[in-house]
Amino acid sequence: MRRLRRFVKRLTSWARTEKDEERLRAEIEAHIALQAEDNLRAGLSPEESRRQAILKFGAVEAVKEEYRDERGLPSVEALLHDMRYASRRLRRCPAFTVTVVLTLALGIGATTSIFTLVYAVLLKSLAVADPAELYRLGKEARCCYWGGYSQENEFSLVSYDLYKHFRDHTQGFRELAAFQASTSLLGVRRSGSAEAAQGYPGEFVSGNYFTMFGISAYAGRLLTAGDDQAGAPPAAVMSYRLWQQRYESDPSVVGGVFNIDDKPFTVVGITPPRFFGDTLRTNPPDFFLPINTQPLLGAAADIYQSDNSWLDLIGRILPGANPASIEAQMRAELKQWLRSRWGDMSANDRAEFPEQTLFLRPGGAGITSMREEYEHWLQILMMVTSFVLLIVCANVANLMLVRGMERRREISLRIALGAQALRLVRQALAESILLSLAGGVAGLVIAFAGTRLILHFAFPPTSGMAAIPIDASSSMPVLLFAFGVSLIAGVTFGIAPAWMTTRIDPIEALRGASRSTVRTGALPRKTLVVCQAALSLVLLAASGLLTAALRHLENQDFGFAQDRRTIVRIDPSLVAYRPDQLTTLYGRIQNSLSSVLGVSDVAICQYSPLSRNNWGAGVWVDGRPAPGPKDDVSTSWDRVTAGYFTAVGTPIIEGRGISDLDTATSQHVAVINQAFARKFFQKEDPIEKYFGQTGMGTSRQYEIVGVAQDARYLDFDLDHPIGPFFFVPEAQHDVLPTGKDSNPGSHFLHDILIVTRPGASVSSGQIRQAMASVDPNLPIISIQTLREQVAGTFRQQRLIAQLTSFFGILSLVLACVGLYGVTAYNVGRRTNEIGVRMALGATATQAAALIIRGAFALVAIGLVVGLPLALAAVQFLGSQLYGLNPYDPAEIFVAVLTLGFSALVASLIPALRASLISPSEALRTE
Amino acid sequence: MEEKKQKRDVLQGTLALMVLKTLDVLGAMHGYSIARRIEQISGDLLAVNQGTLYPVLLKLEQEGSITSGWGVSENNRKARFYRLTRQGRKQLQAEKHDWDQTAAIIDRFFAVRAEDLK
Repeated sequence: MRRLRRFVKRLTSWARTEKDEERLRAEIEAHIALQAEDNLRAGLSPEESRRQAILKFGAVEAVKEEYRDERGLPSVEALLHDMRYASRRLRRCPAFTVTVVLTLALGIGATTSIFTLVYAVLLKSLAVADPAELYRLGKEARCCYWGGYSQENEFSLVSYDLYKHFRDHTQGFRELAAFQASTSLLGVRRSGSAEAAQGYPGEFVSGNYFTMFGISAYAGRLLTAGDDQAGAPPAAVMSYRLWQQRYESDPSVVGGVFNIDDKPFTVVGITPPRFFGDTLRTNPPDFFLPINTQPLLGAAADIYQSDNSWLDLIGRILPGANPASIEAQMRAELKQWLRSRWGDMSANDRAEFPEQTLFLRPGGAGITSMREEYEHWLQILMMVTSFVLLIVCANVANLMLVRGMERRREISLRIALGAQALRLVRQALAESILLSLAGGVAGLVIAFAGTRLILHFAFPPTSGMAAIPIDASSSMPVLLFAFGVSLIAGVTFGIAPAWMTTRIDPIEALRGASRSTVRTGALPRKTLVVCQAALSLVLLAASGLLTAALRHLENQDFGFAQDRRTIVRIDPSLVAYRPDQLTTLYGRIQNSLSSVLGVSDVAICQYSPLSRNNWGAGVWVDGRPAPGPKDDVSTSWDRVTAGYFTAVGTPIIEGRGISDLDTATSQHVAVINQAFARKFFQKEDPIEKYFGQTGMGTSRQYEIVGVAQDARYLDFDLDHPIGPFFFVPEAQHDVLPTGKDSNPGSHFLHDILIVTRPGASVSSGQIRQAMASVDPNLPIISIQTLREQVAGTFRQQRLIAQLTSFFGILSLVLACVGLYGVTAYNVGRRTNEIGVRMALGATATQAAALIIRGAFALVAIGLVVGLPLALAAVQFLGSQLYGLNPYDPAEIFVAVLTLGFSALVASLIPALRASLISPSEALRTE
Repeated sequence: MEEKKQKRDVLQGTLALMVLKTLDVLGAMHGYSIARRIEQISGDLLAVNQGTLYPVLLKLEQEGSITSGWGVSENNRKARFYRLTRQGRKQLQAEKHDWDQTAAIIDRFFAVRAEDLK
């Protein structure tokens, strides 16, 4: 307590230094005067009595010093003192300061901007109350639908029925909420307004969704359990983003009626500004709808199918509840529920029953699909930027060393006069920390711009839709990170120069500086250049490999034509078309677009190649036993209109494509790709064979009429061979023996493929006009060329490759600047020596070679150090190289060559200067 | 360096105790008369370097054991007077207790003869 009190006193006394000094002075004065008076009374002469008094008091300055030590916090004061001194010194050489601060800002800014992303994607919790109390179902995020009563590895998606079972039976949750694992595009039009419907992403959530998150409405109210009941008046919650950007925060939106997929919903409230739903995704939902309103919208009512898992679960546990026991309880409930469905379960589901289990995991960050997708990329970028930061530090350390050299005389003089080594080191460190903090502040600006740029290129905003909810501006953790990085950088680049100062011999002050024979400083500077060369090599090798992998991906044979092809994306479900109206609609669209001048062909498909979506199905080949649970029969499939293969430019290898002959009443047919033929028919001829989808209980659903060349449709597994795929006609419905259409949703085709004549061009205005003549209310979601769509698939890979290349070149430039500095300095120092050599008959070429040899020796050591480092680092790229050999000798060779060439350029100017040294002049300067 | 510091700490500790006792017995006093008093009682300890008293006074004041204020000395000089606080009195008692205990223990050790330990 007494200590604490004293500390506080000392802390505050700091501010009143002047007053305290005055007080001590007065007290000493009084003391000496009193003593002198006593001495006078004892009979000494006035002068002698004062002299004796002073003698008795002791060393006044020492007492003052001790008094000061007791008074304030001397270490802090000295620190401030050092800082003031350092800033004064830096102000006196603005060119040096600005160079260093800018270099540092690049390094710190790059690292911080990547950290902003790392924080947002990997570390941040949702903006909800007490995220630590939230638990989610599932170890890994799973998208978006899962059919049947068994799930691989873990039950992480649930049906609405299973959700209700969990909700009503599990103890330990205060609220357990369910929500759609994906988002749905909704066609939204304000009731009474004349404009066409607009597509916005929406999500179905249980009534207690917002209560579970513990958030309250920005305006109006959020959904309640009462809204989520069959027959309740349809209610919706709008995102703050849409309310603000599209409706300019119009208060009448709350309580207003909006037609969502042509059904009236009342918007009851607005979400809080920072809430973007349960999942960080590129297009966060703008509408939250109660799960029980799903049957109102669209044909596929997932809510009634207990074998259709499409919901994620997050629950808030009761205070003190044990998640492990809740998990155990839910596992038992899952088994219990599955057993109650035994009659519905397929033989495979029953076989898998014993393995069915589930996991409960902390859910404060929501559903972390983005984390899983981007974790590795972000790690790579974080590593790349830390390398850049290291190179920056080496560069700055080099500059600081040169500065230290210039100050040798001053420092040796100070040491000679008795300056403490510790104090000198502290002053040098103060200077570097001050520089790095300034660099950190400038770096924050660069980080902000950099993060925005990266976000813009990685997730280009779709007009009208919400952008990815990542904030580029600094949050507290980002600021702390930048501060920490600056401090560490400051110490890293400051420690060597600071240490150098203590190695200066005071005797040097007495000698002339030019006579110094000591070579101190050369070795650390050379070491730094070697490190820079090594690190640059790593970055160059990594960027070379990533660029090569990207080229490899982009230049592969996609199996379809990209030129002259435009994709118009629509969604007829947004304006409440019924499945039976669709064939007519597609015919009218094809007619209308075909009549546009310059259009040569039009086809419509559910998903065009690389359009980032697909439907999967298991396959049962006719004449074989029904596939068991362990058989891999997975394929993807697509629904297309007649003439599709010609339009997309995929050759038919055997048989025929989908044609006008395939009508609702004719034999149901399918066209398969080569991978399908290889996987299911090996050497047999697949034509006229039959197969079915496993869920439908028949193996004679489709007759195979053709084999198409393999084409790349899926935007993942890009380095794997193209997988099995089949195509079925739009006109034919998958009718079950019960008479029910098993895939009505698959008839809502999304992509219109327009082929233009060679040399002709079709504007989006023409396309919109032709579409409006079919149905003015049918929203067009996007129009882009197939080439753009393909390029979009590699957008993130390209961005990473470009960023790594950018950082690689940056580091190369920095390393060359470092090499140039050291070489030029060497030439300066060896002027005499070279002069003597030339006087003795060395040629200009030999002088230049001497210098270049010195520079290349450093680079060579850098290569020797950097090569193993690079080989270790590229291994980390691993899967991001899409099958490219990480030890590709060509790429590494290119990196070595680039480094060598740049080093040559950097050392050329000093070498040239060395060759121009005139012997007489060089000797005269001595 | 280390040894010097240690010596100073011991001196400061003893000095602090003396200051507290002096103020306890004689009431409010200024620095010079405290120094005189201690010199009279302790002999050599403060004969030279009377100035070392002032850092000790400051430390005690920061700890709240004494307070100070400007006043006028017996021969009409402006001087700073120090006074014991209630906390200082408590501290003095505690330290005296500690001191007595330590001294008693040390005394006993010195009184011990070889045969006592058999």
